[in-house]
Amino acid sequence: MSAVPNRPSARTAVPPKRTVRQPFDWTGLLFALGLTLVIVVPLLVVGTWAFTEVWRYPSLIPQQFGLRFWSQTLARADVWNALFLSLRLTTVVTVLSAIICLPAAYAFARLSFPGRNLLFLSFLASHAFPKFGLLVAIAGIFLHVGLIATFWGVVLIQLVSTLMLMIWVPVSAFQAVDRRMEEAARDAGAGPLRVFWSITLPQAGPTIFAAMLMTFVNTFYETEGAWLIGAPQIRTMPVLMISFINNQLVVQYGAVLSVMLWVPSLLALIFARRAVGTGAFARGFGA
Amino acid sequence: MAMLSSTLPARARAPAYGGAIIGLALVAMPVLLLGWLILYPILAAIVETMFPVGADGARGFSLASYRFFFSDDYSLANLRVTLWTTCVCGLLLVLVGLPIALYLRFSRGRFASYVQALAIFPMFVPSIILSYALIRTIGPNGTVDLVLNALGLPKLPTPYLTPWGPVIGLVWDNLPLTVLMLTAGLGQISNASVEAARDVGAGPLRVLVSIILPRMGNSLLVTLSFAVLGIFSAFTLPYVLGPASPEMMGPFMERTFSDNNDPLNALTQAVISFGFCLVFGLFYVRSIARNRESRR
Amino acid sequence: MARLTIRNICKSFGSGFAVNDVSLDVENGELVCLLGPSGSGKSTLLRMIGGFERPSAGEILIDGRDITHLPPERRPTGMVFQSHALWTHWTVFDNIAFGLKLRRLPRADIREKVEQALAMVGLADYGQRMTTQLSGGQQQRVALARSLVLEPKILLLDEPFASLDQHLRERLRDEVKDIQSRLGITTLFVTHGQDEALALADRIVVMRDGVMEQVAPPDVIYRAPQTEFVAGFIGSMNFLRADVEDGVARHDDLTLPLPIADGPVILGIRPEAMSLTPSERPRAGKVHRLIDFGTHKLIDIDLTDGTRIKCMAGPDARAPRGLRVELGVSAFHAFRDGRQVYQTTSDLEATERSMSHA
Repeated sequence: MSAVPNRPSARTAVPPKRTVRQPFDWTGLLFALGLTLVIVVPLLVVGTWAFTEVWRYPSLIPQQFGLRFWSQTLARADVWNALFLSLRLTTVVTVLSAIICLPAAYAFARLSFPGRNLLFLSFLASHAFPKFGLLVAIAGIFLHVGLIATFWGVVLIQLVSTLMLMIWVPVSAFQAVDRRMEEAARDAGAGPLRVFWSITLPQAGPTIFAAMLMTFVNTFYETEGAWLIGAPQIRTMPVLMISFINNQLVVQYGAVLSVMLWVPSLLALIFARRAVGTGAFARGFGA
Repeated sequence: MAMLSSTLPARARAPAYGGAIIGLALVAMPVLLLGWLILYPILAAIVETMFPVGADGARGFSLASYRFFFSDDYSLANLRVTLWTTCVCGLLLVLVGLPIALYLRFSRGRFASYVQALAIFPMFVPSIILSYALIRTIGPNGTVDLVLNALGLPKLPTPYLTPWGPVIGLVWDNLPLTVLMLTAGLGQISNASVEAARDVGAGPLRVLVSIILPRMGNSLLVTLSFAVLGIFSAFTLPYVLGPASPEMMGPFMERTFSDNNDPLNALTQAVISFGFCLVFGLFYVRSIARNRESRR
Repeated sequence: MARLTIRNICKSFGSGFAVNDVSLDVENGELVCLLGPSGSGKSTLLRMIGGFERPSAGEILIDGRDITHLPPERRPTGMVFQSHALWTHWTVFDNIAFGLKLRRLPRADIREKVEQALAMVGLADYGQRMTTQLSGGQQQRVALARSLVLEPKILLLDEPFASLDQHLRERLRDEVKDIQSRLGITTLFVTHGQDEALALADRIVVMRDGVMEQVAPPDVIYRAPQTEFVAGFIGSMNFLRADVEDGVARHDDLTLPLPIADGPVILGIRPEAMSLTPSERPRAGKVHRLIDFGTHKLIDIDLTDGTRIKCMAGPDARAPRGLRVELGVSAFHAFRDGRQVYQTTSDLEATERSMSHA
């Protein structure tokens, strides 16, 4: 069936080597070129702008490259404020959602209690409504309790987005741990807590770590909730970028911010996705 | 041996009972948050818009805010542009995503891993950075203009600040999940069943139409539902890339809530969004629940 | 010195029983195999002894001490799992050392004991490997060492070789038998393979639908099955429906003296207890096929009543397809309502009598 090159065996005479040529992958080339054009080019443009000092229409390439706007951007107090706020917010949200969700994920994966399936599926609810509509509904509640434009209001609205991820991914991680492995540890003399600490957690660790990393990065870049609940008092990095874009400030500010903030998160996310695996990732969204 | 000399009192029933208590205790916190941050706001939004506080301070049943929405030309225009954007994006996503997914599932070509990496790549690009990149690329005097100008071709009208701006951004943004979910769906069609069809003489197109597509129905619908739920109330991309009027529901709700300080109408718009997405949401939840059942 | 006593153990799942009223004594140093088809309750029984399942009724004693309600970590049992269940995030050494560390042994002692255990299973230099770098057989050896290093009073093995190929399985089973008899450790071994049970066990417990069908040494189980199920499950057995009249069992192709009450009966005859002679009778059995195993041949005979039976013959036997044959029987069993009601006398009958009351 498939084109396997003939392998000479010890007993038979070696026939003249016949390699069957694979037909050239034209479809693949087409997709590759098209996607490169659409996906890569816009990002390259941003990258170029970040290191440009002068780029006047209609030149194809910038007239002058340089790092001038990096120092200008980094000299802005609002950039640093937003960065520290974002980091603080993101850390709080990630730690909180881990504390809240991981024990629950373990319970969903390993314990049996009434209503387990229904409760687990109910976490899908956050994905079953149009997101921004949901945020507006929450903002309506926050308005009454005075959480609008406060740090904790933004933390709570971020939890809405992270709950689902931090429950579903760790549940599958815990479920993937072989029960026999835990039983073998009990057999060796470890109590339930010791088993969890020495066996279950290290086994599920990489996936849980990936989920936390994804939570961190997603929260860092979350724009809609932060804008709706936080703006203008609570200015996270994405909110700051929106105002840069809206105010048509120096073009390079946005570009510098994009490059600066995005490269590390890209590395983090690529790592996270490798750990979780494409299949599990898609399944998390119900594919 | 770690043995204690005394035996425990008999309590054959106790652990199962204790397990239920511990289990419920462990899930209580996120479940409460879920109730407070998702279910309660939705119910409250419905109650608040249908039983608004009247001028006399008392609540009474009234659909006035809904009547206003559906009689206000501006609101209706926003709803129309939202529906249009959602339909166009859904269609484009399937037209672009399905061929890529098919290629990734069945090709062993040399470009497969590159195509996969690129198709998934936008997942790592936050929408705010994407918005910025698209402004610089397809906006006025952007890269597309530069290239056309250098080639001596006439300028194209820029999609920036037209309804096509959000469409381009949303398709870009939703492409990875569409491809991933469709590829996962295609993964459930075994090579053997395709090979069996080829074996009895079906050509590639015939295989696609008779073997693959009929079994893709559910995956396609789940994928579309997920995309629709995301697109219908998208905020960042339409806000930055789209026209100021008419605007999509996301920016519209935000402006009504924050700039106009009019939570009642913003909530009404939110409830109307829920209504339009209800079918997709229910379908999405139902198929995931079913998937979980069958996987057990 | 360890003696395992199981008294009237039951395990119910919903409405049915996975294990129903099982009692068993395992003597010090004895190796007992729990044998049965899947779903017979043998694994559940083993897991109840290990503490992973809770019995619905009954009690389990080790050396007379009731352990029924102890959690697994406080039982003096060591379990080897079917899937080996090694902790893949640790090295081989760490896997074996874990239980010793829990017992707070000094470091030097741990090292010494782990090395001894590794040497015992023939993996002396593998301590620093990750478990995922080992072959299936090596992984199962590590699992065995992991259990043995804790010097359990009772060793429990839950189909430990099920995922290995035939050759490896036979080798490991010999090794396990050697180690077990050297250490003199009381052992319970769950398997669904009769070869394994016959090769390993001092006594075999045949289980079916949560109930013990028979408990006896391998030779007795084979030669004196107490029930029709055991007769069919261990080795191969030809079953023929016959009617007893005046102390004679009649079948179209056979007539055998059978001193039991009149009525229908099922005759069980081992292939090696049958002989064939050519026949002129038109309704005699017909040779269907002959399979050559080298050491012996197996001949399939189609009888006129539609049953197909197997006869063992010497390596030189010849039987062309379609040949009509008459059946000769040197020994047989008779079953009614699933229980054995008669068996032709053999040297083993004395043994069987004494064992069945054990």
